[in-house]
Amino acid sequence: MAVSPVVTELSRPATELRAAASPLRSLASGQASSNGTPKPVGALRKNMGGNPPSLDLAEQMNEDEKRKWVKGKKLGEGTYAVVFLGHLRDDPSTLVAIKKMKKVSKDYEEGMSHDAIREVKHLQELQHDNIIALRSVFSSKDQNLNLVLEFLPLGDLEILIKGDQQRKIPGVRYGAADIKAWMGMLTRAVWFCHENFVLHRDIKPNNLLIAANGELKLADFGLARGFADPYQYMTANVITRWYRPPELLFGAKHYSGAVDIWSVGTIFAEIVLRNAYLPGGTELEQVKLICEAIGTPTEDNWPGVTKLRDYAVPSTNPVRGKAYYERTFEILGPEGADLLMRTLTLNPNRRITAKEMLQHSYWLAQPQPTRKEDLPRKAGGEETMGADLKRRPGVVEEDRGSRIARKLDFGAG
Amino acid sequence: MPRETQAEENFTLDRCPACGRMRYLNHDMEFRVSTICYHAICTVCIRNNFHQGPSKCPIMSCGKTLRTKDFKKAWFQDLGIQREVDIRRRVATVFNKVEEDFQDLDSYNAYLEDVECLTDDLVNGDDDKKKLAELKLQQWEAEHRAEIERNRRLANESEATRRKRMAAEEALAQQRRELEIQEEAEEKLKERKFREEMLDSLQQGEQGKANEAVNKILLKKRGQHKKDVAMEAAGAPALSIRGLVDKKRTAAVVDEGPYDPFMGLDLLPTRVDVSKERLAQYDNDTLKKVKMDDAWKAGGYSAEEYLSRALFEAFAGLGVFVDEEMGERGVSTQGAAQAAATGVTGGKMDID
Repeated sequence: MAVSPVVTELSRPATELRAAASPLRSLASGQASSNGTPKPVGALRKNMGGNPPSLDLAEQMNEDEKRKWVKGKKLGEGTYAVVFLGHLRDDPSTLVAIKKMKKVSKDYEEGMSHDAIREVKHLQELQHDNIIALRSVFSSKDQNLNLVLEFLPLGDLEILIKGDQQRKIPGVRYGAADIKAWMGMLTRAVWFCHENFVLHRDIKPNNLLIAANGELKLADFGLARGFADPYQYMTANVITRWYRPPELLFGAKHYSGAVDIWSVGTIFAEIVLRNAYLPGGTELEQVKLICEAIGTPTEDNWPGVTKLRDYAVPSTNPVRGKAYYERTFEILGPEGADLLMRTLTLNPNRRITAKEMLQHSYWLAQPQPTRKEDLPRKAGGEETMGADLKRRPGVVEEDRGSRIARKLDFGAG
Repeated sequence: MPRETQAEENFTLDRCPACGRMRYLNHDMEFRVSTICYHAICTVCIRNNFHQGPSKCPIMSCGKTLRTKDFKKAWFQDLGIQREVDIRRRVATVFNKVEEDFQDLDSYNAYLEDVECLTDDLVNGDDDKKKLAELKLQQWEAEHRAEIERNRRLANESEATRRKRMAAEEALAQQRRELEIQEEAEEKLKERKFREEMLDSLQQGEQGKANEAVNKILLKKRGQHKKDVAMEAAGAPALSIRGLVDKKRTAAVVDEGPYDPFMGLDLLPTRVDVSKERLAQYDNDTLKKVKMDDAWKAGGYSAEEYLSRALFEAFAGLGVFVDEEMGERGVSTQGAAQAAATGVTGGKMDID
C-alpha cells in the first residue's frame, strides 16, 4: 500500500481501502492537471467525516468538488442544458454559471451526450482570454454532468447587434472601432482554437458571450472536434445554417479550419449590416443566397467543387469584386472590406486562415480598436437581466408596486 | 508627551495655570491655546510674557519657546482633540489628493492608509515617530508642490459648483413637491373615474365577460401608468456623479501603443518547422491522395494542418519536466512525481 502516497495519507478504515484499492485509478484521477480537475488530498482531509464510507476515491473527490460550489437561481434553459447561477462556497463573490447537461435523448441513457463530452474535452484544454473558461466539472445525483463555467453577465453579440425583441431592448449603438475590437477578439479565439487543432463548428453571434469587462468570449463547444486524420470522415451537418460555408452545404466530408473562417466572415458582415447576412430558410435557399450575395461556386473559381456530393447551384453569378464590398461595407474602410472579402472566399483552399487574418493590415489601420472596457454594452445591464428573469411571462402585474416605489424615491427630497 | 495628561493638567477654564488667577474673581478672563505645545493660559499672561518677543512657555515643565502669534482660541474643550484637528487640517492641505486621482480602489485605499498612518504618528506617536512623520510631510510637500496647488484649486472649484448644484437641487425639489401634490389629486380623480368605468362595464357586460372586462381595464391603466413613468423619467435632471475611476481620463493617460492583433501570444512551435515550404516537403502515398483527390481538395481539407498537428503530437511532451512545472502543485502531483521517479506503477498493485 505504501506505494501510493495518496492512499497512505488517509488512514481510512479497511473497508474503504478496499474500495480505493486500485492506485492506478486514484493516481489517474489525481494526476490530470488541467483546470477543474480536483486535487484530492487536501479536499479529502476536509471531508473525512462528511461522506459515507462506501464511496470510492473517485466518488469522494467528485463529492468534494461538488461541495465547493453553490447552485443558485436558474438563469435559462435550453434543449440540452439548464444553466444556473452559482458561486464558490468559500467566496460568494466569485460568480459562475453552472451548466447542467440534460439527458435528452434515449440513446444516451447509458452515458453522456456527445455535446457534453465535446465541451468538456475541448474547454479543458483551451485556455485563452477570448474562450469561455471551464472552472470545474462534477456530476450531481443521477449522474448528471455539471460544467462550472465562467459567468458572463452581459449577454451575447446577437443581443448587442439586434437587441432583445422579447424584452424590447434595442441593440446598442456602435462604430467602426467597436467592430474592429469585437472582430479582433473573435478572430483571436478562432485562431487559438485552430492553432490547438480544434474546429469549433458552431460559431454564431449568440455563441459569442460578453464578459463583465467587455471581453468577447467564444462559448458552446458542443459541436467542436479536433482536426481529423486524412481518411477520417467528418459530418457536413454542422454549423448553424446561416453561418455554414458552401463546402459543408455541398456535403464535403473532409474539411479544415476554413469552415470556421466562413462563419467569422458572415458574422463580420452581420455586425456591419446589423442583420443576418445570409439568412437562408433552407439549405437550398442558403446556397442560393450565397450564389447571389457572393457568387456562384464553379470549377473556375473552385476546382473540384462540382464533384462534391450535394453540389447544386440555381444560377451562375459572377463572384463579386472588391468594389462591391467596399461599397456595401463602407464603414470598414478598404482594408476591412478586403479582409471580409477574403474570409468570404468560396474556395476553402484560398480562404484566408485565422492566422493570416490577424496578420492583415486591417487591424493596424485607423480607427484603432476600442479598448474592451469602453466597448458599448447591452442596454439595461445586469439589473434588467435579473429582473427579467424573475418576472413570469404573461402575468398582468399589480399596479401597486410601482406606485409605492415612486413614493420612496429618495432622490426626490 | 501623552495627550491625555496634557488635557487634564493644563486646561481648566476656571484657573490660569501660569498666574493662578481664578475665573471666579475675574469674569472677563479669556484663554488662548499655544499651537506649539497646547498649553492654555489667560490673555493677561500672554501679554505679560510675550509682548516683548519670544519667551519660554510659562508652564514650568514645558520649556518651549513661544510667540504671541502662536496663541489662538481653542475650539474644543478637550485640547487633545484641538491638537489632533489642527494636525489633521495641516496634513489634509498637503495630502489633498481625491478619489478621482486614482485608477483603482486599491491604490486609493493604500494612499488613504499611508496618510492615516502618518497622521497617527504625528498625533499619537513618540518623539522619534513624530520627527520622522514631520520629515515625511515636509518632503512630500516639497516634492508635490505643483500637484498640491492644483488639487487645492480643483477642490475650491468643485466646492463652488457643489454649492451651485445644491441650490439648484433645492429649487427643483420644491418644484417637485408641488407637482407631487398636484399629481396626487389627479391620481385620485383618475382612480375614481377608473372605478366608475369598471362598474359600468361590468354592469353592461354579460356575466362571462366580466373577467375580460376587468383585465382590459387593468391593462389600459397599466399602459397609462407606464406612459406616466416614462415621461417622468425623461424629465428627470441629469445627475452629476463624482466617482472613483475617471475612465476617460485614464484612457487618455494610458497609451498602450499600437494594437497587437495577436495580443502578444506566439503559438508557433519552437521544436519543429511548420512553415509552408517545409511542410510541402513531407511526402508519402497517403498524403499524395489527400493532396490530389477532389474529395479532399474540394472540401478544403488541408494536408498542412494535418502535418503540423502530426508534428506537434510527435514532439508534444518533450522538454517538459513534470517536477519543475508541477513542483508547487501540492501533494497529489508530488505523489505522482514520486511514483514516476521510483518507477513503481500501479500495475504491480493490481496483481493482488
